[in-house]
Amino acid sequence: MSALQGIRVLELAEQVSGEYCGKLLSDFGAEIIKIERPDGGSPTRYLGPVAEAGDDAERSGLFAYLNTNKHSVTLDLTSADGVQTLHKLLDKVDVVVADQRLDWLQAAGLEPEAVAASWPSLVLCCITPFGLQETPAGLAATDLTVFHSSGWGFHTPSAPDLSRPPLKGAGRFMASYEAALDAALCVVAALCERQASQQGQLIDISMQAVLVTRTDYVMGQMVAGDMPVSDERTAFDLAGPAAIYATADGFVYIWMSAPAHWQALGTLLGNPEWMNDFPGDWLEKGCTPERVEVVRGHLATWLAGEQKAAISAAAQKLGLIMVPVNNAADLQACEQFIYRQYFAEVEHPQLGKLVHPTVPYRMSETPAAIHSPAPLLGQHTETTLAALAGGEQ
Amino acid sequence: MSTIKKRGGPLQGIRVVELTKVWAGPYTGKLLSYLGAEVIRVESLGSMDVTRTYGVEDINNAPGWKAVNPQKLSVQINMKSEEGLSRLKDLLATADVLVENLRPGAMERLGLGYEAVKAVRPDIIYVSMGMYGAEGPLAYQTGYAPCFAALGGLSALVGYEGEAPTGMNVRYADSTFGTAAAYAAAVALFHRGRTGAGQFIDVSAVETMSSMIGDALINYSLNGVVEQCNGNRRAEMAPHGVYPCAGGDWIAIAAHSDQAWQALAGLLGLAADERFANLAGRKAHEVELDKLLGEWSCSQEVSGLVELLQAAGVAAAKSENSLDLIADANLWAREFYPNVTDAHAGSRMTVGPSWKMTRMAEITDGAPALGEHNTYVYGEILGLSEAEQEELVNKGVCR
Repeated sequence: MSALQGIRVLELAEQVSGEYCGKLLSDFGAEIIKIERPDGGSPTRYLGPVAEAGDDAERSGLFAYLNTNKHSVTLDLTSADGVQTLHKLLDKVDVVVADQRLDWLQAAGLEPEAVAASWPSLVLCCITPFGLQETPAGLAATDLTVFHSSGWGFHTPSAPDLSRPPLKGAGRFMASYEAALDAALCVVAALCERQASQQGQLIDISMQAVLVTRTDYVMGQMVAGDMPVSDERTAFDLAGPAAIYATADGFVYIWMSAPAHWQALGTLLGNPEWMNDFPGDWLEKGCTPERVEVVRGHLATWLAGEQKAAISAAAQKLGLIMVPVNNAADLQACEQFIYRQYFAEVEHPQLGKLVHPTVPYRMSETPAAIHSPAPLLGQHTETTLAALAGGEQ
Repeated sequence: MSTIKKRGGPLQGIRVVELTKVWAGPYTGKLLSYLGAEVIRVESLGSMDVTRTYGVEDINNAPGWKAVNPQKLSVQINMKSEEGLSRLKDLLATADVLVENLRPGAMERLGLGYEAVKAVRPDIIYVSMGMYGAEGPLAYQTGYAPCFAALGGLSALVGYEGEAPTGMNVRYADSTFGTAAAYAAAVALFHRGRTGAGQFIDVSAVETMSSMIGDALINYSLNGVVEQCNGNRRAEMAPHGVYPCAGGDWIAIAAHSDQAWQALAGLLGLAADERFANLAGRKAHEVELDKLLGEWSCSQEVSGLVELLQAAGVAAAKSENSLDLIADANLWAREFYPNVTDAHAGSRMTVGPSWKMTRMAEITDGAPALGEHNTYVYGEILGLSEAEQEELVNKGVCR
């Protein structure tokens, strides 16, 4: 039996944050009833990557990825009937995951405090850019602007060229994925408590706050006055030549922070002349920007002629921490990922067989599993509503 | 009555024992503690966490340590002694969750592998965290956080368009990895609550990173596209970027809808420019568009510009530096920086949880001094008399 089997979740999500949270729960067998607007369904159905062929609402690889194991129920929440049906559904579910803003929830008769009061055993989790208390209310926000409200944007990349803009992070949805993890954690923790107390609760996740908590090693020191705060883009950085370097076939990342790393580099390079200008412990005790610059230059020249996998393996053997910078193709071919079955093939009625990334945790008793592809729009409307109307628990 | 006060929260009553180092494992414990669990870090002078010693004289006043370990307890156990290991097993026999992120194989060498711990606590939830996870051909490898991000495919997607990737800020990865582990632990706790069964959880840092770019991995599966870093661009929106403001500040702006673009175009004086009339046109002329936007923004004061754009319905935010984060109104409105008190240095602010919930756990205590809770653990939990505890000190198990 998977861990969350028998838990019924109503998903009121139209963005990546809520849909990924639902996915994290459905991976463990929770039954997700995804409410979609009848006119086209979730907006994520139209976000890329999309397949060339297929119906418009069913071509999105993003939607297919985020919504495995879920049921799609279309419901017009702009109508009184739709809202009434929604409220009936609330009697039958254990959890609601919503990534809608407060005004949307209020319009659907789902004022969070009122829902918590009327359905006391319900776990209601709201994911919003700045939290339900946001000031001013209704700030326009996307993953980009939330990411830059968190410190990660301003301080990325490390060791920046100050004339160029700070960056958005990886891909499109880091803020959403990160927030979904905290949301799923809180939902399951609340379900644990509910096992004994029978009480639900309201969970209010701020995407901005989630991202800031991920900096706690730094911000925890700054807010306590133990580390200088500033408007410097290097304020989160560590000194040293650690960075990504180009190789003949891609890129590698080198970490160097200790004398042992410097020594290993010397062995790997055959102790070239230029290294003699550096004291053996310079990484710890004399890590000046000038030295870093010189080392970066030499590393770049050397690595430009190397192959990423081979040179990383040679470095690791000597105790120099170097790894290949993998891309999507590398990951599918990675022996470790294959061994651990990180990728799983899912057959989708319109997209065909698609290789999905799965989860980073292997659980001996309750493994995560994808048992059905993302639903077609409204695929489960009739059966789900009929079953619930029939009083099925 | 216990000397440890009840703090509430959904995981109140759950005991977590941590055998962790640095940031990722401790972050898992911190999340569980913030949810109300009692989290005990097992420490020893002979194998001290580097965050207690890095760049500081006083191991009990180390800023990095304090930042990641508020609201935890510390027990000192010398794991190089038989007696110490035996007491640790006694403690584990009372624990619900064990979190470890020691080097690959270290727990087995200590005689604390899953089977051994299961023997003393059959329903233990054993969370093992490793760069590549506990099993597989590369599981022996170790690395630091930026290595996780590089290996997991995330770093390759961060950087300026058409150039070598830069990767995220060097601090990224440990805390995300720690969160994935905490989620899995919570799922296992729920399962145990229903069935009484514990389990072994094997968490991979590299795979956690891959999970943060799942849609890019799907793009490869679906269309054979290997995504590359692309600066601040995004296929569905233009403009979508970070632009200079007066005084060295930066503003993030995303035209997230046609309506938002129309409003922005009005402000920019570009409403009549046919090049930018629709998304396809704006994508085709994105370089010019970004240039025009940067020329418009660079002389303006950032907070006024954010207000102007927000009033027009355009997604915009200051790219916040560390001063901004400490002053951020939305974070303060959430009481995001609670005050915690520790026995050594008094009261300090710290980073609180990302969530608000109806029944929160109280967060009042700072990070523990080494062995601060020896008496609680040895006396109250393990039931040793004062004389027996003194004997442990004499044997070098604790101080």
